[in-house]
Amino acid sequence: MAVRSGLDPDAAQRAIEYCYEQGWSDGLPLVPATQPLVEAFLAQTSRDPEEIIGSLEAVRRECTVYLAAVNAAMAGCRPEYFPVVLAAFDALMRERAARGGGWQSTSGPAPLIVVNGPIRAELGFNSGGGVFGPGFRPNATVARAIGLIVRNAFGVRPGVLEQATQGIPGRWSICLAENEEESPWEPLSVEAGLPAGASAVSATLIRTSEFVDNRHTQDPEQLLWDFADTISRTGALIFRDTSCGVAFCPEHAQLLAAAGYSKAAVKEWLAEHCGRTPADLRRAGKDGVSENNVRFAKAPQAATDAAPQAATDAAPQALTDAAPQAPAAEEFSRILPSPQHVPVIVTGARNAAISMVVRVFGEWSGTASPVEEPGGATAGTGADAMAAG
Amino acid sequence: MPNAILDPTGQAERRAARVSAPLALARRPAGLQGARVGLLVNTKQNAAPFLAEVGRLLVEQHGAASVMARTKAAFALPAPEGMLKELITECDVVITGIGDCGSCSASAVTDGITLEIRGIPTAAICSDAFQASADAIASLHGAPGYRYVTTGHPVAVLTPDQVRERARQTLPEVVSLLVAGDEPSRA
Repeated sequence: MAVRSGLDPDAAQRAIEYCYEQGWSDGLPLVPATQPLVEAFLAQTSRDPEEIIGSLEAVRRECTVYLAAVNAAMAGCRPEYFPVVLAAFDALMRERAARGGGWQSTSGPAPLIVVNGPIRAELGFNSGGGVFGPGFRPNATVARAIGLIVRNAFGVRPGVLEQATQGIPGRWSICLAENEEESPWEPLSVEAGLPAGASAVSATLIRTSEFVDNRHTQDPEQLLWDFADTISRTGALIFRDTSCGVAFCPEHAQLLAAAGYSKAAVKEWLAEHCGRTPADLRRAGKDGVSENNVRFAKAPQAATDAAPQAATDAAPQALTDAAPQAPAAEEFSRILPSPQHVPVIVTGARNAAISMVVRVFGEWSGTASPVEEPGGATAGTGADAMAAG
Repeated sequence: MPNAILDPTGQAERRAARVSAPLALARRPAGLQGARVGLLVNTKQNAAPFLAEVGRLLVEQHGAASVMARTKAAFALPAPEGMLKELITECDVVITGIGDCGSCSASAVTDGITLEIRGIPTAAICSDAFQASADAIASLHGAPGYRYVTTGHPVAVLTPDQVRERARQTLPEVVSLLVAGDEPSRA
């Protein structure tokens, strides 16, 4: 039975089609933005509508607060989400990859947006079950707003300036609120230098996310080895070094914390143990490293010279040893050059031991952007705080 | 009267104002005899040996006087001003590439157009998988139809011998883009 709402669905459908015809849509219906709607967004911030919040030098395009508001409205955000959209965009513009060629890249990387602080509950961001989505308007629309800004304000469209070979699932839909309530560790925003209790957004680009399902052990080292295996897969290695985040579920995080691991200790463990042997890398054609730090397949002769046969024999042993320990340094290439290359958050439900490895594109800047409070104030003063350690 | 639907691109006014005059390419020399060749290398895998071989062949087969290579640090971005100035001062023609990714195909063409505007005949080399990106950026810079050299994709996995062979194959097109004779069909 039809519901009589007094609204005009036929006019709405025509307006939605109009937006498709202009080439503005990411493929899903847009909310047609009007002046009154966009003014409601702009009323949520003290920032000048003409302020330039990001530019893409390579394509000579800029985004203003006003254009961000139009795109956020079209993405389906509510006006009160707009300060989070601005903070997310600020955070992304601190990422070298996002200011450079990331949006045009064949890898088609996705923004990973992490929300901390009281704004999560105030606006209804999901930090629990199904946090990677879909199903939650703030998470879904804030991430989508970033995608529309890239498409419309920067003009980077698939198949044209955007050259993603396959793209990745969830490219414009990954906005996670951290589960601070069930995390044993400090929130990401605090690690990045902002005061505890401040609402903030951190962001970086990721190439994919890959689950680690380990409901099998209570031994923290066994658990960390399971993460190390996923993090160390050769398919993800392009350069000498890589960067890799972990979105721990509460259960994994609590297990590690109960065993005495701080967040920093987890990062240090992973930096020490993630990597491959020369034999593994040779098998995948990634045993050489150029002066630009790009991996390449050494010619067979060179490979034999550089890596004696003994290393080949030792290789499988190292990762399958019954009593796990880090392989000897000379036969093992570490891939995470420092703990900073391992951003860690806690998110999701405490109902199963399933976490996500997120494959960082480039390197997280280690910063968080404060979310402006209604009325224009930002919590804390560490707007550009760098992660201390 | 219903409210207007707002444009999320910010380009409506700019499109109207955009000048439709074609890009004026740099003046071409009659030949490359005695020319100082600049290579603008973008660090993509095999770009350096590819361009070096093209430079070597221009000296060997077309009488170019010298080859100077400069490498930009960020392949995704246009070359920095200092590097462009150096190429403009020291070289008569420039070859840039290899545009073999999403961002670097666009920035190689951007560098080519910038050098043309500043008087240096330039051949940008892109792989054929990135023509959509290269053409789009040329249009964005007001140079629709801008011509560049294409070579087959992929380039990164080629062996040193294959790279040299590719460089040989592109040579005629590089030369035809750099010397006088076919301007009317360009840009």
